[in-house]
Amino acid sequence: MTVSPIDWAIIVIYLLGCIVAGVWMRRYIRGVEDFAVAGREMDVNLGIASLAATEMGLVTVMYTAEMGFSSGPAGATVGVLMAAAMLVVGMTGFVIKPLRDTGVITIPELFEKRFGKRIRWLAGLVVILGGVLNMGIFLRLGGDFLVHITGMNPDYLQWMMTFLLGIVLLYTVLGGMLSVLVTDYLQFLVMGLGLVVTSVLVIWGINRATFEPRFIWPEMKQEFIEANDVGKRFDKERAKQFKEEQEEWAKEVNESAKTIKEDKGTQAAEQFVAAKQKERIEVFKDIERELASEYVLVSKEKPKEGQTKVSAAEAHTMGNPFNPFTSKKLGWGYVIWMAITQIAVVTTWQTMISRVLSAKDSKTAGKVYRRTAFYFVGRFALPGLWGAAAFLYFCNQGGLPPGIDGLKAMPAFLNTVLPVGLLGLLIAAMLAAEMSTDSGYLLTWATVIYNDLISPCLRRPLSPKGKLFTIRAMVLAIGLFLLFWGLWYEIPGRAWDYLAVTGNIYLASLFTLLVGALYWRGANRWGAGTAIILGTLGPTTFLIVNAIVKDPARQIKPEIAGFAAFGLAFAGMIVGSLLGRALGRAGTNENTVEETTQ
Amino acid sequence: MTDFFIWFWTVMIFASIAWYALLLFYVGIKGGYEIIVMARTLSKRSDAEDSSAPSEP
Repeated sequence: MTVSPIDWAIIVIYLLGCIVAGVWMRRYIRGVEDFAVAGREMDVNLGIASLAATEMGLVTVMYTAEMGFSSGPAGATVGVLMAAAMLVVGMTGFVIKPLRDTGVITIPELFEKRFGKRIRWLAGLVVILGGVLNMGIFLRLGGDFLVHITGMNPDYLQWMMTFLLGIVLLYTVLGGMLSVLVTDYLQFLVMGLGLVVTSVLVIWGINRATFEPRFIWPEMKQEFIEANDVGKRFDKERAKQFKEEQEEWAKEVNESAKTIKEDKGTQAAEQFVAAKQKERIEVFKDIERELASEYVLVSKEKPKEGQTKVSAAEAHTMGNPFNPFTSKKLGWGYVIWMAITQIAVVTTWQTMISRVLSAKDSKTAGKVYRRTAFYFVGRFALPGLWGAAAFLYFCNQGGLPPGIDGLKAMPAFLNTVLPVGLLGLLIAAMLAAEMSTDSGYLLTWATVIYNDLISPCLRRPLSPKGKLFTIRAMVLAIGLFLLFWGLWYEIPGRAWDYLAVTGNIYLASLFTLLVGALYWRGANRWGAGTAIILGTLGPTTFLIVNAIVKDPARQIKPEIAGFAAFGLAFAGMIVGSLLGRALGRAGTNENTVEETTQ
Repeated sequence: MTDFFIWFWTVMIFASIAWYALLLFYVGIKGGYEIIVMARTLSKRSDAEDSSAPSEP
């Protein structure tokens, strides 16, 4: 289905509204505090709208839908864990209360009070590497959604996203956090409406032609269970046939290799085994394809020229769609790892924390967290529902259309089921999601660069105008960097691993430093430095080992790497601090920051 | 156990839709009012700053 003029009208009105509101707020900017933290005038409900809009990006919608596609409703487990973390932190004030009370603009600024300038600078660097590099994936994934839901020519993806980023840059550079808050509010409304209406349509399965509503959730539940059963039978049968094939292969190859070794030497035998291994992989793929066409959702993509049937086929199964602990794609380890990660995310992720720091006081910040908590369940559950519904839809259609994979299935599905007008609303909602996230992130990272990387290196502080100019220039520079890094430049496959690694380094190091700075009197700059170094070691080892070890079964699992990063960072903080104290070079302030600010 | 999770996710999905719809109206009205208050406060603050600033010689 193509976008109708009514849909386009909705989209244009929404974009114009955002530009006008964003640019209007420029008049209230008087200094860095207005620009970076909205003059600390943000109240509870505006905070809820802004936090919810910023943290629900188009990239979030895409990957949560993919989790729904591959794991059913259980794919939203991370959302439940995040909501629980938000609620606990909001109720107890863990980290956010003392952090807001310090009156800092960024997290690294707090570290200077406790650990000195060098640690502030180092932490700022970690924040920027983790934050900006990860933001690089936003534009392309967001563009993928828009291309598939509008049915637009993929060649226009870059131009469309460049235009969108241009609008975001315009109002963010001019109005800073004030523009971000007001546009976030508009985007929250449009996005919320789009999410609610689309989810209702998916569950009620309204026929696009006749507009007849029919409550299909009970049928969907049954189909999820069947999809899981079929997937299990596929896995079982595949394992059985692989085992038989493996036994037969090992017997035959061992005997032949032995003979070759005796006749022609070790090298020839090794070459023979390597060739046979290649053949065996092809046999496995053939088995998988044969079974996939019988049991699971398979891509209908025709093989391209020079491509074998096997490489063109992609089999999709749904893991246990309801129980995350027994799901092969999630499991106990993953759930525990995500629980820890979410606590770190809600207390250290700078874009979330910037709302805490923009709040009137720590009480308001706590309220914002408590009241936004359940929003994060929907952040995963609703797009996850769309992704899971896409799985069932394409199962009933006999397979995925050409060019569509698990990631693109959801927009392709919505494009076929949403009626005129609602498609426009959903596109406007998703543009809102993308724009609010981009603006919030651009501003946050620009503030960190100015506040924690540039400012500490200056001998004389800049004039107020100079400060404002520098942050605005940084917003623009990050925007241009994103255009190149995330959109016009094709990121190589392995680069995604680097993004995961930088994200892990960020969370493990910053969380450890924050907890140490706020709650442990014994923490000092030695400990902080060691925590950053060791927090970097775990994820980097993961990257190197997995690059060397090709066998997926022997590679380090992401959750192990994550646990290691946190464990090493905390160990670094404790050992380093004790060592620093023993050597009599503990560092600056021995009180916790909370005590310092009281 | 699976029955519990089916029930759990059904509640989560429907509660999310209801919560989003509720927030849409509640935050929509209250948040809009807070923007007006924030703009007024900032406006007063800048007026005060302008009037207290030393005049040009």
